[in-house]
Amino acid sequence: MSIVLLRVDERLIHGQVVLGWGGELHPSRYVVVDDELAASEWEQDLYRLSVPDEVAVVFASVADAREAVAGWRGDAVRTVVLTRDIQAMAALAAGGALEGMEVNLGGLHHRPGRDEVSPYLFVDEADREAVRALVEAGTVVSGRDLPGAPRVPVDQILQ
Amino acid sequence: MSVVPPLPPAVRRRIQLRAFLIQGSWNYRVMQGTGMAFALLPLLRHLGLRDGDLEDAVGRHAEHFNAHPYLSSVALGALARLEMDGASPDTIRRFRSAIRGPLGALGDRVVWATWLPLCAAVGLLLYWAGVGGGWAVAAFLVLFSALHLTLRFRGFRLGYESGTAVGPRLKELALTRRAERGAVVLVFLVGGLAGLLLTGDTAMGGLSRSWSAGAVAAFLSGLVGGVRLWRPTALLTVGLVVLVTFFGLRAG
Amino acid sequence: MSFLALTLLGALLTLDGVTVGQFMVSRPLVAGAVAGLVVGDPVTGLMVGAVLELFLLVSVPSGGGRFPEPGPATVVGVAAAVWTAGPGGVALGVAAGLVLGWLGAVTQSMQRHANGRWVPDPTREAVTPDQVAAGHGLAIALDFARGALVTAVGLTTVLAAGPWVTRGWPLSAADTRGALLLGAFVSLGIVGRTLLAGRRWVVLALGVAAGLLVGWVLP
Repeated sequence: MSIVLLRVDERLIHGQVVLGWGGELHPSRYVVVDDELAASEWEQDLYRLSVPDEVAVVFASVADAREAVAGWRGDAVRTVVLTRDIQAMAALAAGGALEGMEVNLGGLHHRPGRDEVSPYLFVDEADREAVRALVEAGTVVSGRDLPGAPRVPVDQILQ
Repeated sequence: MSVVPPLPPAVRRRIQLRAFLIQGSWNYRVMQGTGMAFALLPLLRHLGLRDGDLEDAVGRHAEHFNAHPYLSSVALGALARLEMDGASPDTIRRFRSAIRGPLGALGDRVVWATWLPLCAAVGLLLYWAGVGGGWAVAAFLVLFSALHLTLRFRGFRLGYESGTAVGPRLKELALTRRAERGAVVLVFLVGGLAGLLLTGDTAMGGLSRSWSAGAVAAFLSGLVGGVRLWRPTALLTVGLVVLVTFFGLRAG
Repeated sequence: MSFLALTLLGALLTLDGVTVGQFMVSRPLVAGAVAGLVVGDPVTGLMVGAVLELFLLVSVPSGGGRFPEPGPATVVGVAAAVWTAGPGGVALGVAAGLVLGWLGAVTQSMQRHANGRWVPDPTREAVTPDQVAAGHGLAIALDFARGALVTAVGLTTVLAAGPWVTRGWPLSAADTRGALLLGAFVSLGIVGRTLLAGRRWVVLALGVAAGLLVGWVLP
């Protein structure tokens, strides 16, 4: 299996991901799953800026990503998959496509109606619903901003 | 590409001045958001927005934002352009969330991880080579500020000229590749600093011979252990000073 | 008199660290020289600043993370070294600098949580220009006050601790420097480690050789 990280982070590709996780995992492909981004070229140009030239960045809609995810798991390219929200990750995982893998919640920020789980993790009821869907789809969910940091366990997120 | 609308110099100067306070109210809720709105206020006033329109405009710029403080000027320039062009609030919102990550990552790599330690290493080398403390401090400040101020002022202009199309323009600057080259220079300077300090009693008071072996071991342990050794090292240093004083008092 | 001047300097350098300007005059090398001038001993000021700079080379104000705050720490460190008689002064200065760097980071983090309460939140309510300016200004004023407080607490502590160190410190000036530089060497190694990739260890080795050479050639 060569998906080395599944991460939910509103900021998508940014310093923590590229330097923090990238420095530890050495991926050679980032896949960003987001319907709006998949259709917007100038935004893609901006997100590509964070990544060294030799690393590939792929933008996919949720529907396209569902088709392709088995391929990413199967091929030899070390891949980081990023979504902006838990719902998109849950859609990707539905039906067991990510079974047995760990989903990392790395950055969901303050918004009205969201409760603080940790300084980088705020969730509302819809988010918790999506976390339950991820657990049902056979993934292990936890919060963690950087590789060295302690994990926030799923029970604490669902409280 | 539309024609670049002229930005009145007085407005530009006030935004650029306020950009020096971009992190004035850094917080875990909107991070630099308030600072961004504060910096753009002169422009929003210049555009003649009133009441509800003004509050909407202030509101969209006061939302969550975070980037490297110097490179935030690129975002300020581009956002000023979008407001001048009358871009939709949705475009502005999406631009803000797309640009913050790259500007943060670029700045961390170029400024914090490379240029700042590189300039500090130059200053420290000059100091321990006995060139004179004043020169060491001046060299550090001049070198560092050259890039710092360039990023702020040219960054703002680049952002204003390009608007949402700033991505390819930033890519052309090849900042990441330059940072890679800077990192090689920094590695050399770090080695040089270790070597210079090891040679013993320089004019500024270096290491006496009896400590050389310990210093080599300390350097190697840092090389092998990495960042996780920093906190224990600081604690050990403080603890050592306390303990030596304590036992010195008891013995004396 | 110099207590007040140093407190003011500590507060100003706190602002430079993150909130106002970030010209990096708050880095230990610069802050050490300035604080040294204020207390009338720039040579000792630079010495303490240079050692603290070595320790803090890996510490940069990156992305909202917690990092030792250099400005007030260096001011207090220099004051401790100058005010404390005997070779132990520099030791107290460096130790105080490290402790104050940590105290600065902790209080800064507290303030960042607190700032979130008075900056306007556009996701909840309409935001006026006045609210933005007031919230922003208040946060900067508080950062100044925090810097003054941290510096004053540090200065008071080192004034109290100084006489004990003067009486108890058994090491010579050279041995004191040696002991303190051990920690600085670990820190230098850490910086090297964060940069090592591919064949850069060759460059590092060349740097060490060049440094040794320069050190031997210098008078």
